[in-house]
Amino acid sequence: MKKTLVRRLAIALVAPLMLAAAACGSSDDDGAKAAGAVDGGPVTIVGQDFPEADVLVYLYKGLLDHAGFQASVKNLGGRDLYLDPLKAGTDFQVSTDYLSSMTEALNRAANGDTAPVVASNDPAATLVELNKLAAAAGLTALKPAEAQDANGFAVTKEFAEANNLTSLSDLGALGQDLKLAAAPDCKKRPDCGVGLAGTYGLKITEFLKTGFGGNDTVDALKKGEVTVGQFGTSDPVVEKNGFVLLTDDKGLQNAENLVPIVNTAWLKEHPQAEAALDALSAVLTTEDLATLIGQVAIGREKAPDVAQAYLEAKGLLK
Amino acid sequence: MVPQFAPPLDVTFGDNCLTRNEWICGKYYETRSEELQTALVQHVETVLASVLLGLVIAIPLALLARRYRTLEGIVVGATTAIYTIPSLALFSLLVPYTGFGLRTVVIGLGLYSLTILVRAILDGLAAVPADVRESARGMGYGPARMLWRVEVPLALPAFMSGLRVATVSAVALTTVGSILDYGGLGDLIIEDSTFKAQVLAGSVLCVALAVALDVVLVVLQRLLTPWARAGRRTKAVVG
Repeated sequence: MKKTLVRRLAIALVAPLMLAAAACGSSDDDGAKAAGAVDGGPVTIVGQDFPEADVLVYLYKGLLDHAGFQASVKNLGGRDLYLDPLKAGTDFQVSTDYLSSMTEALNRAANGDTAPVVASNDPAATLVELNKLAAAAGLTALKPAEAQDANGFAVTKEFAEANNLTSLSDLGALGQDLKLAAAPDCKKRPDCGVGLAGTYGLKITEFLKTGFGGNDTVDALKKGEVTVGQFGTSDPVVEKNGFVLLTDDKGLQNAENLVPIVNTAWLKEHPQAEAALDALSAVLTTEDLATLIGQVAIGREKAPDVAQAYLEAKGLLK
Repeated sequence: MVPQFAPPLDVTFGDNCLTRNEWICGKYYETRSEELQTALVQHVETVLASVLLGLVIAIPLALLARRYRTLEGIVVGATTAIYTIPSLALFSLLVPYTGFGLRTVVIGLGLYSLTILVRAILDGLAAVPADVRESARGMGYGPARMLWRVEVPLALPAFMSGLRVATVSAVALTTVGSILDYGGLGDLIIEDSTFKAQVLAGSVLCVALAVALDVVLVVLQRLLTPWARAGRRTKAVVG
C-alpha cells in the first residue's frame, strides 16, 4: 500500500476542516524525563477501552517516561486481545490490570474455562495465586495499589438514612423486597445476584438490566424504579448523585486492586521500570482513582492532563 | 479484605456545557480540535487505504471470474462469506497474523469491500449490450482494447455506484477498528459513550465524511462519463 499517497489524499480531503483548527499547534512535548535517568528505550502500555483504563495508561506512561523510557499507550477492546501478546512481549510490555480479573484470566488460559476459581476477597492471597500463574506465563505482577475497582452496590442517601444502612448486611437485615438495576449477567453471577441472596440474604424480586453503572442505572435509582444499583467502587457518579455505596462487609467481592502486569523477560532487561510503577501503587487509593475518573468522566478534562497533574501533585515526577 | 466505601470527590467541577454533559457544546470543539483532527485524518486514511486495497484485489478477481465462468460462483460466494464474519471477530482473527497496527483494520475493511466491489464490476461488465461487443469485435477490437475502450466505459455507472456503497460502508465500519485503538472517529465514540458532545461530534463527522466522499465520487463519475450528461441534454432538447 502506498501509505504516503493515502496520507496525502487524506490530508487533502480534510484540509478545509483542518484550517479551522490550524491555530492550535500540536504540543506533544512530553520531555518529562528525570535528570540522570538512563534511556530505557520504547515501551508500550496496554489497557482497556473505558475512562478508568484511559487514566491508568497515562499514569503509567508518565512514570515510565520520567524513568527514561519512551512510552506509548494502547487502549484495546478487551483483555483477550492483549493477553497472549503481553506474554510474548513483542507488542506490549506492560498492562494496567486488576488483581482477581487477571488472576482468573490466567487461570482460565492455563487450566481451561472450567478451572476452579483461585482469586478471592483477600488481596494478599490472590496476589500469591496471581504470581504463580503469571510466572508460568512469562509475566510478573508488580506491587498492587490499595485502589480497587470492584462490584459495588449503592442506594440513595435518603433510603440509606431512613433505614440506617451502611453495609450490605444491614440491607439484608431489613428483609425488604428489593429491585436491583445491574449488568445483564448479574442475576446468575456468584459475585452479584446469587451472592447477594446467598451471602447477604437480599430478597431481590426483580433485576433491571441497565448495565454496570452508567446513565441508565443512575436514572433507575434516582427515579425510584429500583432500590439498589450496581456500580464500580471507583465510579465517581456514585458520589456525584448522592448515592451511598454499601460496604461489602462479608467479603463477597474478589479483590480487584489495580496491579501492573509486566512481561518478565522485558522487566529483567529494564529493572528500573519496577521502582517507577511501584511508586504509584504505594500512593494510589480508591478515593484518588474515583477523583481522577471524575475529572475525566464528569469534569471532561483530558486523561493525559489529569494523569500528569496527579503524578506531579504526589511528587512522583521529581 | 479491603473495605469498600463511597469515595468522596475532593474536586469540584466548573459549571459549563462539558460538565453539564450537553449534546451541543462549543467548549468541546475549542478544547478537542486537535483530537478531532487526528481522528478524522486517521479515519479518512483508513477508508481510502481499505477501499484502494479492495479495488486492487477486486479488479483482478472480477476479471478472472468473468474469464473463467466456473470461478464466478466461488469468487462471489467467498467474498460474500467474508462479509458475514462479524467485524469484531474478523479483527481478532487477523491480529495474530497482521499485528496490532492500522494495517489490520485496513486489511479487514478491504476484505469487506470485496463483496460490493466484485459484484459491482461483474454486474457492470454483464450490462454491456452484446450487440455493442459484437460491433466492436467487427471493427477489429482485441480483448484488451475491447475491455478498456468499450466495456469499462459502459460498465462505469454500475461500477461507480458499487464503489460509492463500498466507500460509505467503509466510513461506518472504520469505527469498529476502535477495538484495536485504530477506529478514527470511532475511538472518540467508544472512549466514553456517555460523553454526549464527543459522541455527537464523532457521529456527525462520520456522516459528513460519508456524504463528502460520496459527493467526490459522484463528481468523479460525471467527469469520467461525460456522454451520460450529453445524452440527457440531447434528450431534453428533443423532448
